[in-house]
Amino acid sequence: MTPTPPASSAGSAPAERLHPLYLITGLGKVLRNAWGLIAGAVVLGSQGRWWLVAMIAAGFVIVSVLSLLLKWLKFEYRVGDDELRIDSGFLSRNSRAIPFDRVTDVDIEQGPLHRLFGLARVRLETGASAGAKDEDGVLDTIALTRAEELRDHVRARRGRAPLAAVADDLDSPPLFAMDRRRVATAGLFNFSLAVVAGLFGVSQTFGDVLGFDPFKRSFWILIADRSGPLRELILAHQFIAIIGGALVLTLLGIATGMARTLLREHGFRLDRTETGLRRRRGLTTLTDVTIPVRRVQAAILASGPIRRAFGWCELKLQSLAMDGAKGDHVVAPLAHPDEASAILASLDWPIQPSTGQWSHVSSAYVTSLAVLLVPASLVALGVGLILEPIALLWIAGAMIAVGARWLGWRHTRYALSDKSLFIESGWWRRRRSIVPTGNIQSIELTESFWTRAFGISTLRLGVAGGGGFSAHNVPALHPTEAQQLRARLIGAA
Amino acid sequence: MTLDDMPPAAAIRPVEPGYRHVLRLGAAMFWLPLLVGSIVLDQLVLHEMPIAGLAPLLVGLIAFSAIIFAPERIYRRLGFSVDGELLRVVRGWLFHSDTIVPFIRVQHIDVKRGPLDKLFGTATLVVHTAGTHNSIVMLPGLSPDNAAAIREDIRGSIRSASE
Repeated sequence: MTPTPPASSAGSAPAERLHPLYLITGLGKVLRNAWGLIAGAVVLGSQGRWWLVAMIAAGFVIVSVLSLLLKWLKFEYRVGDDELRIDSGFLSRNSRAIPFDRVTDVDIEQGPLHRLFGLARVRLETGASAGAKDEDGVLDTIALTRAEELRDHVRARRGRAPLAAVADDLDSPPLFAMDRRRVATAGLFNFSLAVVAGLFGVSQTFGDVLGFDPFKRSFWILIADRSGPLRELILAHQFIAIIGGALVLTLLGIATGMARTLLREHGFRLDRTETGLRRRRGLTTLTDVTIPVRRVQAAILASGPIRRAFGWCELKLQSLAMDGAKGDHVVAPLAHPDEASAILASLDWPIQPSTGQWSHVSSAYVTSLAVLLVPASLVALGVGLILEPIALLWIAGAMIAVGARWLGWRHTRYALSDKSLFIESGWWRRRRSIVPTGNIQSIELTESFWTRAFGISTLRLGVAGGGGFSAHNVPALHPTEAQQLRARLIGAA
Repeated sequence: MTLDDMPPAAAIRPVEPGYRHVLRLGAAMFWLPLLVGSIVLDQLVLHEMPIAGLAPLLVGLIAFSAIIFAPERIYRRLGFSVDGELLRVVRGWLFHSDTIVPFIRVQHIDVKRGPLDKLFGTATLVVHTAGTHNSIVMLPGLSPDNAAAIREDIRGSIRSASE
């Protein structure tokens, strides 16, 4: 495709359409939305009413192709000098103007079909798209070359060199990359039992239709019947059967984790561009995401118990824009601490406090919970000794909770240095948040009547972006300590 | 830097006394219908059971304390200070919170006045920050003039920061 010289205003720029193959690439989305219909067809098919299935399928294809065609005909975009204009809609026309001044970056994504035909899906990141999941400036299917042109055009408009010239491509060494072996290792740690739950759900729904249900005992007995000796062995050694089942579940979990990680992280590559980080990854669906440094609000370094034992960690950045619907941007799914440190260093962020000491939080973090559980434990003890021994389970549960709290307390600490606040928490899944003081929007000190009795309060930071669960807190501080920390945070900001 | 090096914190100021009446009327409008409802329910459904009379008694007690005692206490525990470039809101006893918002972090500011506010001459200042946690900080019970003055204060410092 020849590059079109941008016109002075978007209105006079030539109108462009999506690539005609949108009729095919768009089908995937339509199919995903029609899963109810597909499920219905499967049920009908299992009842042998094939002509009905055929009619449904034919009708569905005709309707969806027609609607896609209509959408394609009515969708036009114009690339002006300083704005993108998108006209869309059939019954209600919508004309949207996106000034390039407001576009922070251009994401390019390629699904399997897109890659087959050299196409791409383009998303313009604006401030507004950070909160709402509204598809703000999405060009669903355009030629890849045109997408790259558009991105360079937007960047040139903002006074920057085209991306291709800066971080091209595979010549300059990446900031961080994962080879096949690393991806496979990451997959091993992403053990997931989601598939088992999924299979269970499917067999509950369709088991009767399919005529078998692997989650029923009779199914396995039937299979074992056909191989007589095995059946006797299993029935005789239930213990072995349980171990076998656990083994199968574990293998399934590992296999799913591997498959999902491979699909998502294959060819992971992170580059430093002049304004941010550029991440490319994916096996079937390639994504190409740029994370501008200015929009990064906090960094999160996390590791689970097994990962930690092998010296791995995961690095995420909390940014104003969401990474799809997933919240924080993963910039290193599986990295050694020095690799994570290099990534942060390229942003001029420290990974650990260079001056100053880690401070631990008050031990009242543990005692406040322990004392809270005492009255109920006494009741449980009485009930357990006199009436129902099972009530003693409550005491075991309470002790486990206090033990977990104690371990959590041992691993909770904070430090303020290099104009950043470092917070570490969690003992099972450890997490270190790094929040530059300049990114703190508000500071709240809270205490309830209960924590007040133990002389502790919690410091909560308001930080922009990220998912709802990623609040940055320092728990269990003595009030004077908390006020001191707050004063230092405000003074440094 | 230690606490002693910090400039002395501005004194926490109370909000308008009229805010007590706002709270009281608001509580009455919430609890009195509930009380009536519980009495009706008690008379129609529960009057033959052993727990007859319990529900109106409980609701009545809570309503009584919410209308008579709670407003005074909430009012006494609510305070704010405007300390140079910081807005500080202190509230609550059972669940106490002490929030500080630097002016330069404020995205936009509302001054809200509901019907009750108009009746008793108060207004609520609502400060929006970009944070995900605690992104909306509310300071109720200000006089409208005072709320507008704080708003102008914040606006002024946002403008000078962006210039």
